[in-house]
Amino acid sequence: MRKNYEPKPLFLERMKELLGKDFDSYLEILKKEPVRSLRCNTLKISPESLKKRLEEKGWKIKIPFEDFPEIMIVDSDLLPGELGRALEHVLGYYYIQEIASMLPVLILNPKPNEKVLDLCAAPGSKTTQIGARMENSGILIANEVKFGRLKVLSSNLERCGVINAVITRKDGIALCKKFEKQNYFFDKILLDAPCSGEGTIRSVPKGLEMWNAKTIQNLSKLQKSLIASAISILKPKGELVYSTCTHAPEENEEVIDFALRNFYVKVEKINLPVKTRQGITNWKEKSYSPNVKLSCRIYPQDADTEGFFIAKIKKTK
Amino acid sequence: MIPIKFFNPQEKQELLKHLKEQFGVNEIPWNLAKWGKERIIILPKEISKKEIESIDDAGRVENIGLYFAKEDIDGVRLSIEGSNLLKNQITKNIFEMDEKQLKNWMLGQQLDVPTEKRGFLVMKYKDDFLGTGKASENRITNFVPKSRRLKSKEI
Repeated sequence: MRKNYEPKPLFLERMKELLGKDFDSYLEILKKEPVRSLRCNTLKISPESLKKRLEEKGWKIKIPFEDFPEIMIVDSDLLPGELGRALEHVLGYYYIQEIASMLPVLILNPKPNEKVLDLCAAPGSKTTQIGARMENSGILIANEVKFGRLKVLSSNLERCGVINAVITRKDGIALCKKFEKQNYFFDKILLDAPCSGEGTIRSVPKGLEMWNAKTIQNLSKLQKSLIASAISILKPKGELVYSTCTHAPEENEEVIDFALRNFYVKVEKINLPVKTRQGITNWKEKSYSPNVKLSCRIYPQDADTEGFFIAKIKKTK
Repeated sequence: MIPIKFFNPQEKQELLKHLKEQFGVNEIPWNLAKWGKERIIILPKEISKKEIESIDDAGRVENIGLYFAKEDIDGVRLSIEGSNLLKNQITKNIFEMDEKQLKNWMLGQQLDVPTEKRGFLVMKYKDDFLGTGKASENRITNFVPKSRRLKSKEI
């Protein structure tokens, strides 16, 4: 592996069960340095102008997806921290963000003048992306429960020039309950849920040290409560994107299955510009609704990204 | 209780008058509010006081909108974001920096240059607007907050 860490046997066993014959290629990609990617902040600069500026610095810039020119890959050998030190970063012309982490907002597709909630917002990568897509109009509520993470959220929103954000600090479940009581509903909600982070070990191998199966069970309970609360404050036909940066089915398909069984919602088909796999419908002794297949699994070895899970839910009543 | 006070039309006109005199600005196309004693923030027109009160009732509001400017005894001091948002309107009291001055400015240092001006100047490097400095006889005082400074001259 790229850095010194010891995956726990149970983690490896679970990944092997999920991936089957692709398990070895998964292990192989973990040894490879992650791709350096950034997102042009279109509130401040056009992708063409940013690309030109960065190329003038001598950086080789690739635009991997024609339909999303704001997504860029820096294909040069940079010094450690060089991406974050650049004037263009300090001025908020770009946000350093892993490609898989940009995908939930592409699916949420927030628009100007909508009312949008980012329920677990810090550090603000997706919040600033939502702000850019809303073109600074409408209302974007960015909630974060952890006090220590509010500062970084505020400072990222400021650096990126987002004017339509209101930052709140409250437990996500309690916040939704309050909004429901007030009849305050949203067009779109991003629930980028707290998760066990299995998908990020390529960038943060240290994460494996903290991995344990009990945490997954606890997170799964929290995620179900969060999704239930968030659904309650969606407008009819409102949309919710549920995402995690983990592979654990208990935190992914099981949560979507829970939503399908308990609320008037449906899962919608999503198209992403990277290779994805459909959601699984059986895990251990559990079976999930066949509609869970419409959610997407993103594996590092398929797309040369981090691992992610994304599902789009629409309220039907 | 959130420390916010929306500008009434008269207060907005007053601020615009200052910005026009100082920098040639003709329009502020957002809602304005004061957060605390000095900080002026901007918000889109859809975010009203009533809206914020509803949100605050549901979840504690920690921050709103974008830090735009600060009122100072000598005038209005635009933030980096304020100067950037108004860049197409700013026509006067602009200080154009060279690359060396840019680096010093973004490191948070004062610029030791004679400006023949006094008061606030918008700092500019090529197409980038980088907030305001306060000119006195032989220097421009720097207000770039620590969080927005470069960490080294290698940019």
